[in-house]
Amino acid sequence: MTPEEALAAARARAVAAREAGGYADLGGLTIAPKDRIGTDQLMEWAVLEPDESTMRSTRRLGLPITYFKRALLHVLRQYHGELTAEQSRFNMHLLVHVAELEDRIARLEAERDA
Amino acid sequence: MNVHQVLSGAGPHDAVSNQARAFRMLFQAWGWGGADVAAGIDPRVGRAFSPLAALDPAPGDTLLIHYSAYAPRLRAVLERPQRKVLLSHNVTPARWFWDYEPRIAIQCALGRQQLPEYAARCDVVAGVSAFNAAELGSDRVVPILFDSAGLGAPRAAEPAGEPTLLFVGRLAPHKRQDELIRLVALLRRNGLPEARLVLVGEPMKPWYLKELQELATALAPGAVTFRSGLTAEELAAAYAEASLVVCLSEHEGFCIPLLEAFHVGVPVVARPVGGIPEVAGDAALLVADRDLAVVAELCRVALEDGPLRATLRTRGAARVAHYARGPVAAQLRALLEG
Repeated sequence: MTPEEALAAARARAVAAREAGGYADLGGLTIAPKDRIGTDQLMEWAVLEPDESTMRSTRRLGLPITYFKRALLHVLRQYHGELTAEQSRFNMHLLVHVAELEDRIARLEAERDA
Repeated sequence: MNVHQVLSGAGPHDAVSNQARAFRMLFQAWGWGGADVAAGIDPRVGRAFSPLAALDPAPGDTLLIHYSAYAPRLRAVLERPQRKVLLSHNVTPARWFWDYEPRIAIQCALGRQQLPEYAARCDVVAGVSAFNAAELGSDRVVPILFDSAGLGAPRAAEPAGEPTLLFVGRLAPHKRQDELIRLVALLRRNGLPEARLVLVGEPMKPWYLKELQELATALAPGAVTFRSGLTAEELAAAYAEASLVVCLSEHEGFCIPLLEAFHVGVPVVARPVGGIPEVAGDAALLVADRDLAVVAELCRVALEDGPLRATLRTRGAARVAHYARGPVAAQLRALLEG
């Protein structure tokens, strides 16, 4: 078989295999691209909840540095809490404005089309 | 002549940093000077790159900007009066990262937004593939300087043992390791129960590696091996032991692993996206079908058909010759000398 013939042969074999009951779909993690981020998704992302466990050192034998950085985060948690609360407040209010504008546009378009 | 290389980020295993190191060796061989600087430097890189602040070009020097990610700090470089050459390594579309790694998604979105502005402010614009160059309205191409020395000689014989699929690339959403795991699981359920998959690459994040490992455990227990931080010898051994290289990436600016597979003599099945058709030429089995059953059957054909494998090996060697260091180095020199 030549490389140019291989794909057609594979397609034919796949059809035959499926007809024989093969290649059942598998579940699990399936990566999907996201082109349009909806308001609901933005609402979910708007509230900042940093995960301390993601703090780590990328250095070789960096485990002690990771512990140190996490300890530092821990003692600074009150300050970080203030920061994330302020940013989350801004994000949420901005999104509420966006949602209200979307509703208003939809209402105006409906009135125009009526 | 002095050429200073400017990178948005330098890491121990990424293709752009490796390329800058290879360019520097060429520059030294040509008797050229200059420094290599990066806006962000991974601590594992050592002293190969200096911080951006160390950039101190003389008036007649040339600045070679390797663009591969959002880099607001490089904007200051554009203000400099020296001749500026931008080489685009491509930026992955953000759509693959929003759900998985927002920081990278933002960098990709801004990076792609910023790239045309940077290109407009440079004297010469080129890409490592025609695909990359065309995105910027250029037809200047300086391909990746492919170095096969670390991979040793092409293998003399087919590997013994169970059929082993190999993919080399960062563990990231657009590389679609999830599909590769599903593919090997389908092969094991449909005629190739011994099929294995080896995934070589640095994880984007530890949690992403964990998710892929959990998927592998659920669908193909014991059949998937994750490896990272390989030495050149270990990478060469991984290619030598592979029956097939499979690449189901959704976006590739160039895809060096194709050339590595061609050099060693491993047949390749790949999705024809980005720069892949250009690099693979007629030497790989390209499959755009989304149906993994078709991809699995194509893999089986490539694994079982001896004459087909021999043809692919011969064509692969021709593709490696097409990207030989001499002509690529000449293209690079012509680009920089203007």
